[in-house]
Amino acid sequence: MADVILENVYKRFGDFTAVEDFNLHINNEEFMVFVGPSGCGKTTTLRMIAGLEDISQGNIKIGDRVVNDVPPKDRDIAMVFQNYALYPHMSVYQNMSFGLRLRKTPKDEIDKRVKEAAAILQIEELLDRRPRELSGGQRQRVALGRAIVRKPKVFLMDEPLSNLDAKLRVEMRAQISKLHQSLGVTTIYVTHDQVEAMTMGTRIVVMKDGLIQQVDSPINLYDKPVNKFVGGFMGSPAMNFLTGTVKDGILTSEHFSVTPDAALKEKLKPYNGKKVFVGVRPEDLFLVGETEIPEENHSVKSIVEVVEPLGAETVIIASVGSDQIVARLDPHAQVKAGDKVTLIADPEKVQAFDLDSETNIRFT
Amino acid sequence: MIKKDRLTAILMLMPSVILLAIFVYGFIGQTVYTSLTNWGMDPSQALAINPKIKFVGFAMYKELFTGFIDIRFRQDLVNTFFFTIFFIAGCLVLGLGLAFLLDQNLKAEGLYRTIFLLPMSLSFIVTGTIWRWLLQPKGGINMLPSLIGLEPMQSRWLTTREQIWQFNWQDIPQFTGWLIVLVLLWISFSAFRNKNKSRALVAFISLLAIAAWSAFIAPKILILPYPETHGFNIAFVGIIMAAIWQMSGYTMALYLAGLRGIPQALREAASVDGANEWQIYRHVVLPLLKPISLSAMIILGHISLKIFDLIFAMTGADNSTTDVPALLMYLTTFRANQFSKGAAIAVILLIMVAFVIIPYLWTSLRSEVER
Amino acid sequence: MTKHKLWRFLFYFLITAAAIVFLIPVYLVLITSLKDPGAINLNSTWQLPKVWYWQSFAEAWDLLAPKFVNSLILTVSATLLSAFFGSMNGYILSKWRFPGANIIFPLMLFGMFIPYQSILIPLFKFLRDTGLYGGLPGLILVHVVYGLPITTLIFRNFYAEIPDDMLEAAKVDGASFFGIYSKIIFPLSISGFVVVIIWQFTQVWNEFLFAVVLTKNNSQPITVALAQLAGGEAVKWNLPMAGAILTALPTLLVYIVLGRYFIRGLLAGSIKG
Repeated sequence: MADVILENVYKRFGDFTAVEDFNLHINNEEFMVFVGPSGCGKTTTLRMIAGLEDISQGNIKIGDRVVNDVPPKDRDIAMVFQNYALYPHMSVYQNMSFGLRLRKTPKDEIDKRVKEAAAILQIEELLDRRPRELSGGQRQRVALGRAIVRKPKVFLMDEPLSNLDAKLRVEMRAQISKLHQSLGVTTIYVTHDQVEAMTMGTRIVVMKDGLIQQVDSPINLYDKPVNKFVGGFMGSPAMNFLTGTVKDGILTSEHFSVTPDAALKEKLKPYNGKKVFVGVRPEDLFLVGETEIPEENHSVKSIVEVVEPLGAETVIIASVGSDQIVARLDPHAQVKAGDKVTLIADPEKVQAFDLDSETNIRFT
Repeated sequence: MIKKDRLTAILMLMPSVILLAIFVYGFIGQTVYTSLTNWGMDPSQALAINPKIKFVGFAMYKELFTGFIDIRFRQDLVNTFFFTIFFIAGCLVLGLGLAFLLDQNLKAEGLYRTIFLLPMSLSFIVTGTIWRWLLQPKGGINMLPSLIGLEPMQSRWLTTREQIWQFNWQDIPQFTGWLIVLVLLWISFSAFRNKNKSRALVAFISLLAIAAWSAFIAPKILILPYPETHGFNIAFVGIIMAAIWQMSGYTMALYLAGLRGIPQALREAASVDGANEWQIYRHVVLPLLKPISLSAMIILGHISLKIFDLIFAMTGADNSTTDVPALLMYLTTFRANQFSKGAAIAVILLIMVAFVIIPYLWTSLRSEVER
Repeated sequence: MTKHKLWRFLFYFLITAAAIVFLIPVYLVLITSLKDPGAINLNSTWQLPKVWYWQSFAEAWDLLAPKFVNSLILTVSATLLSAFFGSMNGYILSKWRFPGANIIFPLMLFGMFIPYQSILIPLFKFLRDTGLYGGLPGLILVHVVYGLPITTLIFRNFYAEIPDDMLEAAKVDGASFFGIYSKIIFPLSISGFVVVIIWQFTQVWNEFLFAVVLTKNNSQPITVALAQLAGGEAVKWNLPMAGAILTALPTLLVYIVLGRYFIRGLLAGSIKG
């Protein structure tokens, strides 16, 4: 049970900077998710916390202790690896008890803890098997079990679900969340999957090119992305981006004209006459008639290319000039490919991003 | 179409299959047959165009194991036994050590690897020639200590006739019995630890029975009418050194491939679990290298049973102190023209090799099917 | 950190010491071969020659040159032939599975482990009866046949990596047995051929037992000649040492230039590859 604090942490591989000026305070019992595209430095950061990579600069603290030069074995952490890294020559029981045996924990204590963990994870009947006799999902549980029995200060998980099929992934996601709730151990979880990040994290760190983009709760990240990258990365289908010009607070181009709410209008004043990125999430677009927002000055003129009726909703992919947008419509929307439709954007949910810095103008 | 192609495939494979059927199995059959005759035991008939050959059953084998003149063959078996043990142990220990060092991310790793494997590219004849010179009583190795100011060594290396660890050939049944007792003890102990009580019990009871047999009955079995001492010929030390020099690079390469095949994440998992460098090797890396040690032991074991050229080059074909069955077969057959006895030695050699190789072939091909 | 450095130092020390021990014989061979026979004596064994005496190589070459050529002819023909057949067998056994293949393959493999003494007498008789005894063609045949198991094994494992889909696609496109081999399998197996050729080259060049039993004087390969050169109660050690270097040179060169492939052949010999 401990806080994990990273202060001005850098990681350089030769000339390449993998992690740059990383500052983060992870609270005790928090479930912190690192998310970002591959190569963004999230796994490197996790490995630095584990002690599997040296730190080029800065400090890492677990609890009150600076652990920069402490080897992994003395950091009191447990880690779940992407490929599980189960010891192939040991049984499940031996895999789970390995760390405790190294620490010379009394035999009956080991036995108690392994049985406990096995019960939680429902792998009691697998304890005598070898890893190669297990399915992917079972291996995953054993890897979790190996971490749990140690009762460490911090759990580190490196894309633990990425090798499972879609259905199992959903199942294990819930299981890990439940585990965290019942054990209350500080957990750092790395993933490239924004759905996992959103569903599991108390807070999420979005990373790109070695830099932290934003640290916030899932809902805040979704509603208030600080820049175009975060806006586009979180959410599926992703946020739509169109290029438009600011004219007296209205975002326009030859195909659309969107009037934002007063708050954004105010922030857009210095941008009058300039181009910006306009960002709208798919669920914030409506067909005429689906909403009470008037058509005038809120319309996006588009041609439907693909219609995907999903039952609960109908997703359309449409072209706006040379750009493409995705909209989530009412399941009974009467549209077909080739239709010219006018979509209406929710003024309160529209975001505008600076063309150069890509920062969200609404929250500057 | 596909059918025709399938036929072509079988036809294209046929030449190799037929050649190997004749050259391996056909010839082995002929050798076995020859070993059951007396071809060449009568010098006047040995090289005749149509020699008179008599079928004599296992007479040749009986002579080899009990005949007075064939004491040399029995010493050869003992030689091969000791040579094999030291050769395998040396190659495994040295190979593992070198692989471990090369695994430490040292600079110039490639250069070191090239050096250690270099002898592997040489002929045993070249190696033999080189070491024969190194081990001359008045040369090479003996003079090494003088380089750092010490007295030169006086060892006679290949020419010594000294023999240690002598034992009586008549005691072989006893030794075999006690060896089985040891194996059973180990089986029963490990079964006990794995909580397989019935297996432990069965092993323990058979152990007692065989121990009793070894202690009371075996000494009364006389496989020879008179005592006959055999032992480890010191002259082999030099040959073992040369063989290890040549072959330890092979075990190094095997172990290195094994080490590289262990996922990095496994070592990392162990270090997060609380293992220090030594414990990672002890509990994770070494156990995972076990199958490689087994393969290496089998490959080296069958090489050492067959060893011929190295000794031929180091001490000549007819130095009786450093003789092995593979050489004796050559001498018996092609110098003394005793074809049937040579064939019998060859068959014994084949049986020894088959004992090592067939289980190996069996398990590795079966595990391949499972994959 | 300092403890870590101490360990690294120890590792470097150990590995360098091992490398020196491994190179000692090489050093001694080199300097002995370059000494005037009169200058080879006990006290100066380890010293560099005072005068570089290149004569030994000229002498050794005079003695060994014809055998060197024999070995070259033998090695090149045996290697190429067994590589070709091995590739064909590997292709068939990995891609044209037929009933019984699982029995035939291990039976073929066993041939590479047998002690050749166990077939030597009938082989000798066979070659004598067919008139092949004593000459190079007979020895080539023998090396091709007993080379088949290992070449087949290496190619079979190599081809197992080529996805069957690729062959299915070629079959759908109308390629036949030979079409698939020449258009797909062969072009993909260049590195397999390099491994096999290097391996067989080394094996055949270095082989001794067949060579000493099955050839007559003027068709002897170089290993037999070297054994004779060094075998007598030689006093002039410069000559055998120069001979050893000449004998070792071709395989040594191949190893140093193409070591990576050599190691792959080495590891393939332990079946799982």
